[in-house]
Amino acid sequence: MQRRPSFIVLALLVIAGLFSACEVQAPKDPHTLIYHLGSEPDTLNRLTATDAYEGRINGFIFDSLIERDNATLEFKPKMAKSWEVSDDKLVYTFHLRDDIKWHDGKPFNADDVIYTFQKIMDEKVDAPHLRVYYKDIKNLEKLDDYTVRFTYAIPYFKALEFVGGIPIIPKHVFDDGKDFNSHPAGRFPIGNGPYKFKRWDTGSQIVLERNEEYWDKTKFPDIRRIVFKIIPDDIVAFQRLKKGDLDMDSLNPKQWVKQSNTPTFEKLFAKHQYYTPSYRYVGWNLRRPYFQDKKVRQALARLINRQGILKNLEYGLGKLTTGPFWIFGYEYDQTLPQIPFDPAGAKKLLDEAGWIDHDGDGIRDKDGVKFSFKFLIPSGAEFYQNLATIMKRDFAEAGIEMEIQTMEWATFVQQLNSRDFDAVSLAWSFGYDEDPYQVWHSSQAEKGSNFVGFQNGEADRLMEEARQVFDKDKRAELFHQMHRIIYDEQPYAFLYSGPALVARSRRFENVKVYPGGVDILEWKVGKQP
Amino acid sequence: MSAYLLKRLLTMIPTLFGIMLITFLIVRLAPGNPVSLKIQAAQGLKSTALSQEVTDQMLKLYGLKVDLPAGYENFIKDKPAPVRKALEWLGQNTIQFKIWLVNVCQLNFGMSFKDHRPVLEKIREALPITLTLNLLEFLIAYLISIPLGVYSALGRESAVDKGVMVLLFILYSLPTFWVAYLLLMYFASGDHLNWFPLGGLHSEGYETYPFLMKIGNLMWHLVLPVITMVYGSFAFITRFSRSTMLEVVKQDYVRTAWAKGLPRRQVIWKHAFRNSLIPQITLLGTLLPALLGGSVIIEQIFSIPGMGKLAFEAISSRDYPTIMAITTISAFLTLISLLLSDIAYAFADPRISFEEKQQA
Amino acid sequence: MTLEIAQPNLPKAPEPETGSPRYWGLVWKQFKKRKLNMIGLWVILILVAIAILAPLLANSEPVYVKYQDKVYLPILQKLWPISKLNLYPELTGVDLKDWKAKGAEFRYTPVPYSPDDYNLEEILEPPSIYHWLGTDQQGRDVLSRLIHGSRISLSVGLIAVGIYTLIGIFLGALAGYFGGRWDMLLSRLIEIMICFPTFFLILALVAVLGQDLFYIMLVIGLTGWTGIARLTRGEFLKLRNQDFVTACLSQGMPTRRILFRHLLPNAMAPVMVSATFGIASAILIESSLSFLGFGVRPPTPSWGELLSQAKSVIDVAWWLTTFPGMAIFLTITAFNLVGEGLRDAVDPKLKS
Repeated sequence: MQRRPSFIVLALLVIAGLFSACEVQAPKDPHTLIYHLGSEPDTLNRLTATDAYEGRINGFIFDSLIERDNATLEFKPKMAKSWEVSDDKLVYTFHLRDDIKWHDGKPFNADDVIYTFQKIMDEKVDAPHLRVYYKDIKNLEKLDDYTVRFTYAIPYFKALEFVGGIPIIPKHVFDDGKDFNSHPAGRFPIGNGPYKFKRWDTGSQIVLERNEEYWDKTKFPDIRRIVFKIIPDDIVAFQRLKKGDLDMDSLNPKQWVKQSNTPTFEKLFAKHQYYTPSYRYVGWNLRRPYFQDKKVRQALARLINRQGILKNLEYGLGKLTTGPFWIFGYEYDQTLPQIPFDPAGAKKLLDEAGWIDHDGDGIRDKDGVKFSFKFLIPSGAEFYQNLATIMKRDFAEAGIEMEIQTMEWATFVQQLNSRDFDAVSLAWSFGYDEDPYQVWHSSQAEKGSNFVGFQNGEADRLMEEARQVFDKDKRAELFHQMHRIIYDEQPYAFLYSGPALVARSRRFENVKVYPGGVDILEWKVGKQP
Repeated sequence: MSAYLLKRLLTMIPTLFGIMLITFLIVRLAPGNPVSLKIQAAQGLKSTALSQEVTDQMLKLYGLKVDLPAGYENFIKDKPAPVRKALEWLGQNTIQFKIWLVNVCQLNFGMSFKDHRPVLEKIREALPITLTLNLLEFLIAYLISIPLGVYSALGRESAVDKGVMVLLFILYSLPTFWVAYLLLMYFASGDHLNWFPLGGLHSEGYETYPFLMKIGNLMWHLVLPVITMVYGSFAFITRFSRSTMLEVVKQDYVRTAWAKGLPRRQVIWKHAFRNSLIPQITLLGTLLPALLGGSVIIEQIFSIPGMGKLAFEAISSRDYPTIMAITTISAFLTLISLLLSDIAYAFADPRISFEEKQQA
Repeated sequence: MTLEIAQPNLPKAPEPETGSPRYWGLVWKQFKKRKLNMIGLWVILILVAIAILAPLLANSEPVYVKYQDKVYLPILQKLWPISKLNLYPELTGVDLKDWKAKGAEFRYTPVPYSPDDYNLEEILEPPSIYHWLGTDQQGRDVLSRLIHGSRISLSVGLIAVGIYTLIGIFLGALAGYFGGRWDMLLSRLIEIMICFPTFFLILALVAVLGQDLFYIMLVIGLTGWTGIARLTRGEFLKLRNQDFVTACLSQGMPTRRILFRHLLPNAMAPVMVSATFGIASAILIESSLSFLGFGVRPPTPSWGELLSQAKSVIDVAWWLTTFPGMAIFLTITAFNLVGEGLRDAVDPKLKS
């Protein structure tokens, strides 16, 4: 009897030892790129997918009609060998290549484009988020098997981007009488791009394999397999990168500065940073009494220690921004000065605006309203928590009471939609030719993305005009004006734009960093350092 | 016995209905709705104002807007706005709950809002993973805890007993996520030791392994998660096993056995220990439901696609059909396992009869 | 499984000795006998003292200022309810830093930082003579946050368990004493509660209600009562046929009085044991919620929040994981030891 429990313990130890000792892992294949995915895409059906992860994977499986050049960001032919735009900018004609095949061997032609467009517009298809982008297309015709013509109802400067980037799906696969939304091809996409879909192990990985018959020999990839590992926990993912389980991952500033500077890490991995269009902000709900006065908003902007936060919490990785455009874009007015952290100046502005502590309770008030508001942030997000606690202290110092409200994402979205918040912090990321209409036009204040309810007649006019201006310089002129209006009005306190931080294995060669990031298709497989 | 069983099975119906109704209400009253979440959250909250028409189309597509009976429609038409709204909500949800119930009775749990896949298929993928983990955890927990409890009971108040107790309480008190990260850092990251993998279920290239290597690889991946799951349950089971043993040891038949001069080993393991297992069965009955539930925290840290993750993601994306299916199925299985443990209890201990218990 | 609220299945509850003071005296004597119990109890008492005195232990406000031969105690102004009095009208609008420059004498609390004082120049400093337990990612003093965090963690434990003990006793007493329909109803209710995966129910409810300390306590309270209810029901079931109940009834005593004056004290012992264990698990649940981002909202310092904040720097800042972890495990172990001691002390069968 004395022996039994200890025997069990011993047996367990032996088993554990066996597992760890014996070879339970095969050696790594150098031609496979293992990439971190923070969350699993819901589906790989290009029309019904709504998350960011789908695009990252399908980008390898599907090509589009036209694509942006890595270096110049200008459009160039891809599946369409050429295109014409009519003088009134309403008619877009694409001439498709006739040598492209879907991964199952069937040819790609105009019918696929037509079918895709029909499905996007079909109300039975769960794609309302796409539908809004194509709602101004009056007509799509098939001129012949390899020519399609889109006709817009109104001219729009992003029209080429939209029609050229339409997410084309294979008609012969989907059009088989099955329900579109739950079609099995959503779990097993058949594309026409440089990689073929291989397998999807729910919750653990998605595997792609090189398409050996890929038509575009100039872009024929050297890497044979791409494995997307689904690792929900970023800290664990980073450890796996360090250990060599992953070949590529994005880092956060702390990892970039503090945790990835060991000699071993530097030897195995190279790090790249680049700025894609995005910025973080604090938005004031302009419907609230405290935030209606421009002076107050200008004061609040001076109360947020952006410089300190950027320098110390983000380790200086980022660029302060003054407005709603990409800091390197033509739309951005570089002449506007940064707003300093200036509590004394802020207090003066608040006094001028009439927010004075009349009753001596340490909190400013005006017309019987106390300056006491709730600051809404998504829960579990470290950056926003740090930002909020720091703001809370500094605001309290200036006689403003701020309560932090954290909300889980679904509830958070609900609060934004019902405009039921005082102030909120979030980030926007957007495209290269940005149309600020969704976020800033007064027509979007009630239901669109203009959560804060910004309404400015002059800004409205500028945005409406810009939508029909096809000349970049002219558009830049209009957007600079708009940038200045927003800078003056401060409906947001603009924080900064953070860079994308990427670490990748040094095994890969010919890695170039473009404004838009890195292009895995041109990487060559080299020796493991 | 069969009459008792029938009665128990019948009482399960109202309980199950209650659970469904409560879940349905919580789900429907929770802020946030899946349609706006999907439209709005697409492309990072950026969206153009959608017309009411498009929103309605989507609601209908998801079965979140149904046609109310014309009579009801007329009835609520000229009520004041707040009343009308409340009545409309009530009408909508009653009908939708009815539709759902009818479907469930045909074992149709519907399609997930998140990815349009059948909910049952998603559960079928996640459940085996969770079951494997939980079974391993149970096995190890019991294999270690019961002998430990018996030891503690035999050496009551000795240094060993106290030491074991303190140690187990310390283990119990360590927050899971903390331990999980520490284990990963020290045993898997390669910064200190490199014994185990950093999460996941399989190594890269697993598909091509021979069968035994597949099993070995899986087990190797499960070591750390199972340790994280198991250490906290030692305290509970050990203390329970200790106290049941203590009680049994004082029973007459054990004393008789001692008096007869039977060898110590025989008395303890044959007479005392076996009888002390009876209460363990009830305990097991209450723990069985835990077999089906995964821990979100452990699954998240160790990148394991189990039930915990499924449930958590369903809640956060307001995936109504998945939430409803998980609760309903696990509630049903829980009720069955409670019943089974009662029956097992009766078999294990002939002194218990159900008729008597009913009168108590 | 570790997340479940531990519902220790007690070995049969004590013989219906009276819940009289004499009985509790005996229990206390029994409890005292074991040193571990007393260690646990002392740890708890010290923790409670720290929680109560937190603002006097860690505060950036000076305790004592002597300026121009006048003594001020500025810290008092920050303490509720004294803060309502406005003790030193002459201090309003005065920046104490100016006084310091003018040579005033200052005395501070042992930890001269408030839990929310951030200092962006001192981020993630390891323990030093200035910050005994180091600083966190916003340069806040970890010790100060731990001290103030004890208030949050302990109140989550005590209040949540308080709520569910009350619910459990009330429902259990009704079902146990009246039996029949009431019992049937309660049994169904308990069954329903058991069938919900507790932690997910808590998560869902916190998401619905909002991430407020009060709601977190309420939700843990609302979901945790089944164990206590079952215990109380069992005790009442046993007790209701005892002679003294019949005696009370024949005297025409109101039911309420019988239930809560005469029966309840008898049933209290196992309930208390269960509640002590419950406190430990409530504190753990709070920390798990914090980890998933569903905990108390910032900048409230709770131990769980501190610990989960540390996860992203786990390999750089050991002090951020170690100290909050130790605080949690010390507290929970203490409560468990006391619970275990109490269980042994109230269990007559184990007294041999």
